[in-house]
Amino acid sequence: MENKQEKPTAPFKPARLATSAALGILNENYYNALASAKADGKPVIWITSMAPIELIYAFDGIPFFPENYAALCSSRKVAAEFCETAEGSGMSQGLCSYALCMFGSIFEKRGAFGDEGVDEPDILLATEGACATHPKWWEAMQRHFNCPLIIIDAAYTVDGETLPEHHKSYLAAELEKAAYKIEEYTGKKFDIDRLREVVSLSDQASELWDDIDDMRAAVPTPITQIDVFTCLFALVTLRGTKEAVEFYQQLRDEVKERVDNGVGSIPNERFRLIWDLFPIYHNMRLLNYFAEFGGAFVTDLYGNAFSGRVDSSDPFNSLAERYLSFFMRSASWGKSELYKKRIEKYHVDGIVFHSNRCCRCFSAEQPEISQILREELRLPSMTFEADMVDPRVFDDAQVKARIETFIEMLESRKYPK
Amino acid sequence: MESEFYDAYSKRHELAEGWKQAGKRIIGYFCNYTPEELIHAAGIIPVRLRGSSENIALADAHLPTFCCSFIRSCLDQALRGRYSYLDGVVIPKTCDMTRCLPGIWKRNMKPSYFRALPVPGKSTDEAVDFFAHEMALFKESLEEYSGHKIDDESLNKAIKVYNENRALVQEVHKLALSDTPPLSGNEVFAIMLSGLILPKDEHSAMLRKLLDNLPPAKETADGAVRLMIAGNTFENMELMQAIEECGGNVVIDDLDIGTRYYWNHIEEGSEPLKALAAGYLRRVPCPCKHPTQPRLEHMLKLAKDYRVKGVILINQKYCDTHLYDRPWLESSLQQAGFPVLLVDHSDIGWVGGKFKTMVRAFIEMLE
Repeated sequence: MENKQEKPTAPFKPARLATSAALGILNENYYNALASAKADGKPVIWITSMAPIELIYAFDGIPFFPENYAALCSSRKVAAEFCETAEGSGMSQGLCSYALCMFGSIFEKRGAFGDEGVDEPDILLATEGACATHPKWWEAMQRHFNCPLIIIDAAYTVDGETLPEHHKSYLAAELEKAAYKIEEYTGKKFDIDRLREVVSLSDQASELWDDIDDMRAAVPTPITQIDVFTCLFALVTLRGTKEAVEFYQQLRDEVKERVDNGVGSIPNERFRLIWDLFPIYHNMRLLNYFAEFGGAFVTDLYGNAFSGRVDSSDPFNSLAERYLSFFMRSASWGKSELYKKRIEKYHVDGIVFHSNRCCRCFSAEQPEISQILREELRLPSMTFEADMVDPRVFDDAQVKARIETFIEMLESRKYPK
Repeated sequence: MESEFYDAYSKRHELAEGWKQAGKRIIGYFCNYTPEELIHAAGIIPVRLRGSSENIALADAHLPTFCCSFIRSCLDQALRGRYSYLDGVVIPKTCDMTRCLPGIWKRNMKPSYFRALPVPGKSTDEAVDFFAHEMALFKESLEEYSGHKIDDESLNKAIKVYNENRALVQEVHKLALSDTPPLSGNEVFAIMLSGLILPKDEHSAMLRKLLDNLPPAKETADGAVRLMIAGNTFENMELMQAIEECGGNVVIDDLDIGTRYYWNHIEEGSEPLKALAAGYLRRVPCPCKHPTQPRLEHMLKLAKDYRVKGVILINQKYCDTHLYDRPWLESSLQQAGFPVLLVDHSDIGWVGGKFKTMVRAFIEMLE
């Protein structure tokens, strides 16, 4: 192993993937399609991140993710202003910053690109599957836009190792009802064969994503966490389309080539890390700061939520099982089990917890998970507080100091003198 | 304040220890979506888990500070050993904190009985069927744990006990329809709190005695302004006293531990599990459940029937589900002619002076 890396004088900037260019085109096409949706006669449906996007594409609709849009606003440095506007209107500070940012954009009639923002939705669709706040945020938007709102219930338990049949059948029935509601509101006939097609494409994209996810276990790991987060766009927003499958085929091939040639995501991989959980959209560079010390992120659960194998021969039941199977269903012990498997498979040296202040659902269990992993696997961890979208809550110096301390600790454990 | 009801609530842990000594089992639970009648029918005493205004000592190692102080406090009280008498805990799926808490509670408290209860977000016929199925599974697990069979007869008996208690508390609430209620808002608050932690038949006995021996109607002290208190949960009696000291008289509430809890009736009959499922899902909803309009309708009706001059809307900081509804509730109440005072609350570190200033100004405005 090489000598301890001295802190470089210039910030680290890893080379971008060749496939990133394709990502730019997908993004552009998506926003163009969104802008011309009315003219094209396509219904625009605003959905929560764990909603069944397959239903939207089955109706040839355009799914819009306020969460994604808020992330975009954050990366384009307009989130602080939007959040302030929303707070000024009476929304509480501390609510989900995706919601605050989106409402700010709506109230100001301004968007991520210095434009007038996005058009109003035709339909709002939320699920209970990810968090309790999604449906609340959608209810608030419904009061503002006065358009139809569909809420899909998912009455799961967080404490189960197996998925009970009646949980699946309840959600399957909810999904089918939602399809008929969309039919009612759009005037477009529901086509089960079209849904099967979309489900099959969704499965193909998920399978490709899982392949890419697996390949990150290589030493050195082939792609950066920033690439993982940005390339997730197609899985989140275009899952169910041919474009997503083509994109992930291209990405999978590029990643495989890197693995075959032993090309790492960073020049000198010394530590293999997990990032839990949300990206910091206004400061993705922070991930590169770890790289300056040889810290590479090799696996995470975030993408896991958006990938789901599904069976087009039994679409509603299969979708129900898929949407009840992502990690939110696991109580802290369950998430720890998921991490333990990955820690072994990906040769992980430490875990970084981004304590996302506005998201209780995914941050509340972090202290417990950190303790479980430390006690059972002696895995070192670090925790720092930030907000995924709102840059006003971030102490750059303090966080970097914490990273440096963490790296020193990892250094002395992995490369003792 | 002097009140056997408040006394019981303040001494709740001692009382529970006493029941344990007498050979009883106790299961702690959260929220209005735990079907207590099933626990009662298993011969176990259900007690609502409550926080405290004691500072957090141990829970910070297990929950971030940006979680609601109610849940943090409940966990802290348990970690400190205040709930050592519990044989088990039931946590229903309601808000995000109740989704995150099961793993944390189980691992640290190691209860001998534990259930994370799935609860639908809706109250459709399918949701009721789903919840009835979960009730049946919950019943089986209680039977296994207690060694006590729960047949329809014993379940209907439990439902009757609970219905009687709810009816008695509603009767107490209705006393305030009068211009000169015999009980103050504080006294009613203490009655509601005590019902959360006493066996229902005991609480009902105390209520019957009270209703048969009501004090004479109080002259409305110095033209005290009739108010409704609404929001999620708190237990700070000082807060209620502060409102009284500022010239307010809380005549009705829309709280999780008040009318949203007690104003319900479960059908007694041949399908008690289904009746429980329907009754629990179709009562005035927590903001975690959908649709949310019935709660506003409930609040507007109460405000009108109880002739309140204004509404104090109290919410726990970081309580997402309640806070998303807040701007809408505020404007709807205002449009209906009821001014609203918004209060961000935490029982821990509660500052009376600041609260009184706000309430005094609000009441002056209403007069």
